[in-house]
Amino acid sequence: MSLLVAENIRKAFGSTLALDGASLTVEPGQVHGLIGSNGCGKSTLCKIAAGSVGADEGRLRFDGREGFFGTPAAAAAAGIAVFYQELSLIPDLDVAENIALGHEPRRRGMVDGAAIHREGARLLARFGSAGGKGLTPGALVRDLSADQRQIAEICKILARAPKLVIFDEATSSLDGDQVQIFFEIVRALREAGTGIIFISHRMDELFAICDRITVMRDGRTEATLPVAGTDREAVLTLMVGSALATRHRDEAPPRPGAPVLEVAGLSNAVLRDVSFTLHEGEILGLGGLHGQGQSAVLRAIFGADPATGSVRLGGTSQDRRSPAAAIRAGLGYVSGDRGVNGVFLDRPILENMAIASLSKSRAAVFRPRAFVERVGEIVARLNLRFAGYDFPLRTLSGGNQQKVVIARWLATGPRVLLLDDPTKGIDVEAKADLYAIIDELAAEGVAILLHSSEDEELLTTAHRVLVFGSGRIRADLAGEALTPTALYRAAYEVSAA
Amino acid sequence: MRLLRNPLVLAGLAILALLAIGEAVAPGFAGAGQLRSQFVIAAMLGVIAAGQNLVILAGREGIDLSVGAMLGLGALVAGNVMNGDNAMILAGLGAAVAVTGAFGLLNGLGITILRIPPLVMTLGMAGVIQGLLIILTSGRPSGRAAPALTRFIIDPLVVGIPGLVFVWAGLALLLIWFLRRSRAGLNIYAIGTNQEAARLSGVPVTATRILVFALSGAFSGITGFLILGYTQSVFIGVGNAYVLPSIIAVVIGGTPLSGGTGGYTGTIAGAILLTLLQSLLNAMAIEPFGRQIIFGVVLIGLMLIYGRQDRLRT
Repeated sequence: MSLLVAENIRKAFGSTLALDGASLTVEPGQVHGLIGSNGCGKSTLCKIAAGSVGADEGRLRFDGREGFFGTPAAAAAAGIAVFYQELSLIPDLDVAENIALGHEPRRRGMVDGAAIHREGARLLARFGSAGGKGLTPGALVRDLSADQRQIAEICKILARAPKLVIFDEATSSLDGDQVQIFFEIVRALREAGTGIIFISHRMDELFAICDRITVMRDGRTEATLPVAGTDREAVLTLMVGSALATRHRDEAPPRPGAPVLEVAGLSNAVLRDVSFTLHEGEILGLGGLHGQGQSAVLRAIFGADPATGSVRLGGTSQDRRSPAAAIRAGLGYVSGDRGVNGVFLDRPILENMAIASLSKSRAAVFRPRAFVERVGEIVARLNLRFAGYDFPLRTLSGGNQQKVVIARWLATGPRVLLLDDPTKGIDVEAKADLYAIIDELAAEGVAILLHSSEDEELLTTAHRVLVFGSGRIRADLAGEALTPTALYRAAYEVSAA
Repeated sequence: MRLLRNPLVLAGLAILALLAIGEAVAPGFAGAGQLRSQFVIAAMLGVIAAGQNLVILAGREGIDLSVGAMLGLGALVAGNVMNGDNAMILAGLGAAVAVTGAFGLLNGLGITILRIPPLVMTLGMAGVIQGLLIILTSGRPSGRAAPALTRFIIDPLVVGIPGLVFVWAGLALLLIWFLRRSRAGLNIYAIGTNQEAARLSGVPVTATRILVFALSGAFSGITGFLILGYTQSVFIGVGNAYVLPSIIAVVIGGTPLSGGTGGYTGTIAGAILLTLLQSLLNAMAIEPFGRQIIFGVVLIGLMLIYGRQDRLRT
């Protein structure tokens, strides 16, 4: 009998359909891989199985018990353990105490500290010396490195002897040796009859450890394949699907303009030696899996984060990089994380639009009437409507707030726009408006660097796409070579057949 | 109903209520002569609260506990420069502003460059200045105001209103303009609302934060100069009584301690409200501790009303 059966799950978050027709069957004593592009719904499906998100429709059976779990605690009690990407350790407790948290052994009514540390030592011993110096049962979690914390987190799960373990990107901060030890533990769990769901973007790892692989796309389960009877190419084809198989932007890229932005050897905590050139009127997309350096490169160019390497704008070297200097040099930066990086919610719409222009001109006095006259044309062009310039920004919808931020940068007359996933969380109509304006700006000669977490947006909008992986540029795709398959191939490191 | 959600309107209504109660309890409370002296006292509080207002608006737990010590320092410097000489009035003012502005600058540098929390930095600075004042003066009053300054501050200038109130009105107009129309003023709001978004919009975050602390020092210095003019010679501890009222005036004027919203118009109302409340309690024949209790209860009650407004808004 299957350990976990999820059938035809449907889940909507507001107007966004996260899952529709998602199914997953996990057998005891098997490692089940789950793969799909950004936002395909694999994490949501796992959260529904683990009781932390409710489903709208569908059916769930776990270990002979029918029905969805109402709470994470109910799922945990039934034997489902989840390894979270955001770790759940408490920094001020030691490793053994974290492992035992919530089910501490007791002795005469008191917590048995000695037993906690014996158990902690036993679990840590399974990792041998791979944890490195300092990973002891008595070490405080706050003193551990990222990979040591990950090992402690895995031990915490093992301590509960669960029937099903969900590993969501568990190997993301482990090095090669640690991955091998992690795999040994996964195999030991499998021998013991535990079911395992293994979510990873690394094709090599999936093929190394999994018995079966389920491919998801756009909230739907595409297929479940036995690893023995498939290959990477087949998985990739399922991930790409037919909807993306043709590229929408079929017109030829404009005649190449003069180089505007030249980036050479950009490196920092995230980036590894990133170099490229952006031309006038070009829309250069930044693609790849989530968080592989696309945002980091935009922030580094804009001077928001420190980085070594050179940035030249219109032939002038930008040595002392800061947002203020970047703005004066003709750069603009729009972030998808509006709440943190973009908006002043309690301030009037007008001030939200004017702030970058004021920084650029360094004028001592703000002249609202003159500014409104100048910005009126931009507002009309963005199809942006509001009751009055004096209303606080929070009175607008997310899409209109983002348009205000775009207006802020257009008002500075930028030569290069850096767009960091600008359509995140905004409505379809506003998205269409934004992409129309991006096209228009490029036609007028503005150079655009566009990071999008939606591959389809890159394919329909960009003239050329740089695919990022682990902070490096893995591929530079343009013209005939820019196809959905090529994009996925580079992102998932599958070499051409 | 929408008007009632405005802290400024609420403060205005509270002022009218206080005047009415005062007139009922002690006839003459709302009379011209009494009001004139109330406004003189409110003006002193209003000017020192102006600096506090800027610091709080800029956010990041901004607060200036050194305004009291700065006031004493400003009064000492102004008094010693003037020393009773009418020709030295502007020099006295300039010297007071320069010295307290410089100490405010140190506050700002410590908070931004050395990353010392504002509460600790300004409390420490208050201690340093207070100690310096005692060493310099041996604890005795030192320096004298110019007689012309005293006359200007106390005597009616136009239509029975003393010069000091005009000074306050002038400073208020300047400050309100500064906050609405100058780039520096807009930058203060920007860093108070969302520091990271401000940085990414090219706002000089560090310089702006240093500026508000320097301005707070300067406003305290101006207040010291004015109080010296009012009382002719001052003790160095004169400013201590202004520290908490300067914060309260800002908060009951509608600028939350978290910063980012509000402005000086509300603080003006806050300063008047606070002055009237204190004076009303003095006018009522209640023993001192009873007065303190009522004072505290009224303040907490006002904050409760504001808190309800916040909940209604969301």
